[in-house]
Amino acid sequence: MNAPFFKYGLFGDEISLVVAFAIGIGFGFFLERAGFGRARLLAAQFYFRDLRVLKVMFTAIITAMVGLFFLSRLGLVDLSLVYLTPTFVLPQAIGGLILGVGFVVGGYCPGTSCVSAATGRIDGMVYLAGMIGGLLGFAEIYPRIEHLVKATPMGQVTLAQQFNLPYGLLVFAVVLMAVGAFIAAEWAERKIGGKVPDTDSLLAPARPLAPVRRFAIVLVSLGLVAAFAGNPFRGAFARVDTKQLALDAGTKSDHVSVTQLADWIIEGRSDFVLVDVREPAEFASYHIPGARNVPLAELTPDFVARNERIVVCSEGGIHAAQAWFLLRSLGFPAVYLLFGGLEEWKDTVLYPAAPPASAPARDHIEFAKRAAVAKYFGGAPQTGGAPMPASTPALPRLTPPVPAAAPAGVPGAKPKKKKEGC
Amino acid sequence: MSSTPDDSLLEKPHMNPYWAGFGLGLVLLTSFVVMGRGLGASGAFTTAVATAVHSVAPAHATGNAFYAEYLGDGSVSPLKDWLVFEVLGVFVGGFLSGALGNRLRFTIEKGPRISNPARLALAAAGGALMGVGAKLALGCTSGQALSGGALLNLGSWIFMMCVFGGAYAFAWFLRRQWL
Amino acid sequence: MIEYTTTRHNPGVDPILHLWGWEIPLYLFLGGLVAGLMILSGYHILRSRWDRDQAQGHYVTAPLLSLALLSAGMLTLFLDLEHKLQVWRLYLTFRPASPMSWGSWILLFVYPALVASALLTLAASLPRLRQRLPVLARVSESLAGHNGAVHLIGFANVVLGAMLGIYTGVLLSALGARPLWNSALLGPLFLFSGLSTGAATLHLLSHLTPRAGEGSPGFSDALASVMVNWLRPPSAQDGSRKLEQADNSFLTIELALLALFFGGLMTSTLAHQTGARLLLTGPWAAPFWVFVVGSGILLPLLLQFLQAQRRIQSTWVPALLVLGGGLALRFILVGAGQASHWSVALP
Repeated sequence: MNAPFFKYGLFGDEISLVVAFAIGIGFGFFLERAGFGRARLLAAQFYFRDLRVLKVMFTAIITAMVGLFFLSRLGLVDLSLVYLTPTFVLPQAIGGLILGVGFVVGGYCPGTSCVSAATGRIDGMVYLAGMIGGLLGFAEIYPRIEHLVKATPMGQVTLAQQFNLPYGLLVFAVVLMAVGAFIAAEWAERKIGGKVPDTDSLLAPARPLAPVRRFAIVLVSLGLVAAFAGNPFRGAFARVDTKQLALDAGTKSDHVSVTQLADWIIEGRSDFVLVDVREPAEFASYHIPGARNVPLAELTPDFVARNERIVVCSEGGIHAAQAWFLLRSLGFPAVYLLFGGLEEWKDTVLYPAAPPASAPARDHIEFAKRAAVAKYFGGAPQTGGAPMPASTPALPRLTPPVPAAAPAGVPGAKPKKKKEGC
Repeated sequence: MSSTPDDSLLEKPHMNPYWAGFGLGLVLLTSFVVMGRGLGASGAFTTAVATAVHSVAPAHATGNAFYAEYLGDGSVSPLKDWLVFEVLGVFVGGFLSGALGNRLRFTIEKGPRISNPARLALAAAGGALMGVGAKLALGCTSGQALSGGALLNLGSWIFMMCVFGGAYAFAWFLRRQWL
Repeated sequence: MIEYTTTRHNPGVDPILHLWGWEIPLYLFLGGLVAGLMILSGYHILRSRWDRDQAQGHYVTAPLLSLALLSAGMLTLFLDLEHKLQVWRLYLTFRPASPMSWGSWILLFVYPALVASALLTLAASLPRLRQRLPVLARVSESLAGHNGAVHLIGFANVVLGAMLGIYTGVLLSALGARPLWNSALLGPLFLFSGLSTGAATLHLLSHLTPRAGEGSPGFSDALASVMVNWLRPPSAQDGSRKLEQADNSFLTIELALLALFFGGLMTSTLAHQTGARLLLTGPWAAPFWVFVVGSGILLPLLLQFLQAQRRIQSTWVPALLVLGGGLALRFILVGAGQASHWSVALP
């Protein structure tokens, strides 16, 4: 099993949105079940009346944390591919304080306000409107506070890396801390809030081994195992299976044709990285729109994420083929060759030649499509004699000049959208 | 078929917080395993706001570094975003759970000692603060505290402590709203 | 739109045809919705052995609403036409092979049927107008008193509604240049989608029609009191449950037709398969699965099932979701259809 599934290309961007919807339903369902659609119940946290927020949040955190630790330790999930929001100490501390004040003033956080609005709470709807106002305001002051937002950057860093402690030991510590906090919370609820303990709770359950107590015991023991289980991250070593490499190379299953690539670019597919391994000077004179210039010498083990689908291209194909072997042995599983390289790209995509008039109709239809594709990339179809109704006939040229730069409006020319994070 | 009339459908109690948290944790774990990312909420609203501003004043939106980050290259609609679809699901899931528990009510959640307009004004103010805070901290309680907390993210834990700190420090001033 | 012949023998089709914006899908949606309303209210007229006193609140407003919606739909269609001043020419000929010709003639008969049905219910739907214009009231009463006329109006509404509903799908499937639309199931699919949106509209009306003899709600807050009105159980006790059940069966049939539609395409040529994949996994997959299948069919099915079982409160949310799903279906099928192309099948 290669998880995270999405990062290993099990499904594309479109299906990921369907997955998002399904996961969102689960998220919203449990938020509402927990009572997080009601501001008074959430705010009770800050007056020690009902410490639901703490209990739900930390149970969720330790459940997911322990689960992820063991799935990664068993090699089922590549933990390094799970997105980690980069740390900016100062803005995150200030943002957290503002958010905390906003929480007790408004009674919700963004996720819970969605649930409260969905169940008809008018204060939840007004809260959402207020949040939109806050975002509009933030955008206006953003240019002036950009230095603050990006202050004290520490990159993507976990507690384990920061304090140089084993990941598993921290997992155990967090589980212990959470269970301790739960017990303290139940005690505080009874002392300060005067709340009668639940029949299924840690402190005073109806029977000694109530389900919640068993659950806590399971989590603590799993945490104890985790403390000694070692590192959950996968090593950077990949075993090269020469037979598999030979098979991939021999069956041409690693080839991408130039017309296929052109279609991908037109469709705006973002599930692959096009890597141009030529020298920067050649790259500057012309390159396929959206391509990244990485000369052969700069192909390091971390130049893109290991799960990316990589299409390598060069002028003819030899350098690309060498890059293919290099990348495969560096442990990139999905590397493809642009068959024929840029020469083929120019001949077939930029300047397709018209079929002779005697050719079957399907050739002419195909040419009409290729002609449209050529225009998209700033090239020109080479019409021979056959009159084409779909395009204005261009004069045939023997040595067509290559367009200087990627034409405007082609995907890849502008910055890509921020894809992860909150 | 039961013969209970609609009006006597009783509101069911909320779930035991530990088991609700367990369910939430499993959803979060599913998101990690399937998508390689955690949950979120505020980002969806930022994308929606950026898209709305872009459709009203395109030049203003593309000129603003904050909006530009959420708009992308224009090849696909910025609303085709993971968090946008996830938050749509949150609305659906919340409604479904509320309907099943008979907790759908058009009411205002507040303590007995505050008027409706005052509560709504505070809700709007809290929302605005939350919008600013979430963008400053690169995430809200869902994206940072919950998801980052489970990943032992350094910044997320700093953030989480500050959220609880800020809320507890300010709670006393707002006791009239809730108690 | 430039009035196109429907094969690829014209230069507008290759390589991609993107001529239809929001107007056509909106027209198809409104046409289907009106078709559904006509069938349902026609059926209601036929079944209830017309008696004005028995007329249910939301059914009597349906014909008037249909007239308004159909006119709005025709307006969008007219906006879409390239040669707006030539529109009268459609009514000079009848070409049996042209779906546009069929459509314009069906619409010509739909209006009188709707007007007649509106007249029949006028007494109940607009009592004030009845007092102002006694002529209309007399026409209405004589129609309602005549059993044969009532039956004819009911029957005409059902038949013309079905024709209108199927026509909205045939309009697309007749355009042979697009493999995605090349399915005979598009007609029935749009008909049943129209029926489900029609039932949802009636359901929505039943929630919004004020209940007689009810005082103002006890909420001081204006916003809350307006919204509380929406949450009340519908005024007609039995009719609403029947509508929920009818809507659920329409949605189930729609789901089955969608499955058959894709089954048919996936077992056909490569061009058809590629067309179907635009919706199943391609650029339209997310809105299709989420808005059409998820929140447009499955979710309202579940909610209406639970409502019918009295497990949850009755709300107007499922009706709104069905309407949204119907709209999304038209937009997505029109958009993806225009992107599907035969040339993918070439080597």
